Amino acid sequence: MVSAALPIPVIQLLQVLTVAAGAPGVMGVIAKVEARLQGRRGPKVRQPYYDLAKLFRKEALAPEGASWFFLAAPVMAVAAYLTVPLLIPVLTSYGLPLGYMGDILGGGFLLSLASFLVATAALETGSPYAQLGSSRAKTFSAITEPVVLFVVFTVALLTGTDLPYALAATVRSSAGQIIRPAHLLAAAALFMVILHETGRIPVETHTGTTEFGMIEEARGFEHSGPYFALLKWGSQLKQLILFTILADVFLAPWGLASTQKLGAIVLAIAALLAKAVAIGCAVAVIDNSFAKLRLFKITEFVSGAFLLAVLGVFTLYLGGG
Amino acid sequence: MDPVQAPGVYQGAANVIAAAMLLLEFGMLRQALVRDQIRLYMAQSALISVLAIVIAADRNLPDLYALAGLSAALKVVAVPLVLRRLLGRAGGNGHDEEEPAGVAGSYTLSPASAVLTGIVLAAIGFFCFGAWGFAAQHIHGSAAPATALAIAGAMVLVAFGLMIVRRDVASQAIGFFTLENAISLAALVVAAGLPLILETAFLFDLLVAVVVFAMLIRAHHTRAESLSTADLTRLRG
Repeated sequence: MVSAALPIPVIQLLQVLTVAAGAPGVMGVIAKVEARLQGRRGPKVRQPYYDLAKLFRKEALAPEGASWFFLAAPVMAVAAYLTVPLLIPVLTSYGLPLGYMGDILGGGFLLSLASFLVATAALETGSPYAQLGSSRAKTFSAITEPVVLFVVFTVALLTGTDLPYALAATVRSSAGQIIRPAHLLAAAALFMVILHETGRIPVETHTGTTEFGMIEEARGFEHSGPYFALLKWGSQLKQLILFTILADVFLAPWGLASTQKLGAIVLAIAALLAKAVAIGCAVAVIDNSFAKLRLFKITEFVSGAFLLAVLGVFTLYLGGG
Repeated sequence: MDPVQAPGVYQGAANVIAAAMLLLEFGMLRQALVRDQIRLYMAQSALISVLAIVIAADRNLPDLYALAGLSAALKVVAVPLVLRRLLGRAGGNGHDEEEPAGVAGSYTLSPASAVLTGIVLAAIGFFCFGAWGFAAQHIHGSAAPATALAIAGAMVLVAFGLMIVRRDVASQAIGFFTLENAISLAALVVAAGLPLILETAFLFDLLVAVVVFAMLIRAHHTRAESLSTADLTRLRG
């Protein structure tokens, strides 16, 4: 049974299902760890699932004057998020057939498309907080974009391609590929971008309710019921996808299944969730040890990430860094 | 385009340490408090000792262990101690942790612009010294990881940048001391087998610089009651 080979399309589907089902759990673990670090008991790890289930049963309301787009955006955003796991190594170290339909930039475009849809839907509402959130989100994503591009350049220079599977294979190939400044700097820059994109301290308080500091969190203010559930689930999906990219492409591309056997795939699912939880714990520690930056100081945080990414590319240009 | 080959683990480690030193240099560029700048300087000096140990282990040069110990004693312990005493006295009340006057807000550029300027300077340093590094690779017996040499060049320019964009004597002194760190880094990667006596002589040059800067800081502070050099613009003829 354990050595039975799974058909490729099933594995491909499992990549999406693992991310879809695991995302709220990872969020729950981070909330729990964060609470324990602060000396609180914290919510149950299963709490995000309960929240989603509750919201899916509630009635949906739309503000007066909002068009069909307001309700369609959360659905399209989740669809975009669920497409990304097809492109990146989630469970297997070998490329799956649909894995080559887009490169790292393709995955990045899908993530920004989802965020663009949510921001546009927030603009539909006419609510000042939602609009403020989408305006801030777009402003700050414009300044993080160069960092992402430079990380992609580093990957491209390291592997000669920009396929996530190729970089993971390169990192696995030797210790020399890990202990080189370009790789470490790019991974650190990506980690800072992830802190920014998932709305963590030092950029944004994740669970906060102060509107003044809100960026991404403010965008869903006017959504309700199943649509709000989709938005919440979407941000959890985005978090797990970014963690997966960091772990399976940059930091620790080990534990992926190299065969189609059922046992290997099950192990890979467990390894992925364990790695995501480990990154989540690091994020929770950062959440607890730093203060939130003032809004106008976020540029300094991003310039730090930019510095890391640019130095990564520089060192590569000079013979092998 | 072909992928760039990975260097060996030792060379990679040397490059990573060099890159970390450059990052600490940038940290000093944007750090507002002098005592944090001194901490970063200590970390940077500790890293150069670690680098000396790595190179000593890799290339079997026992001299370098002694140099690493000496450099750590001098730059991680002695120089920061002197600096702290000096600035603690300048801060008044004898409290070491109090921030001396004229240091906070001595930026001539905002921190983000200072970092961007630093990136440009680093780029110039990288590409100028990178060309040298490639040439040095052909020297027989040179450790010369081109990357580490280029990083040393970038560090020199960023240290100059630090001295230029800050308007207080303390940051300028630290910028000068990190300049020495950058040059030691270059010396370590290009000429690891340099005789110990020469390396030690370079180290003691630093002590002369510390004494000179100490006198400058004291003189400026007694005359202007502040560490900011902005007061000196008045003196133009």
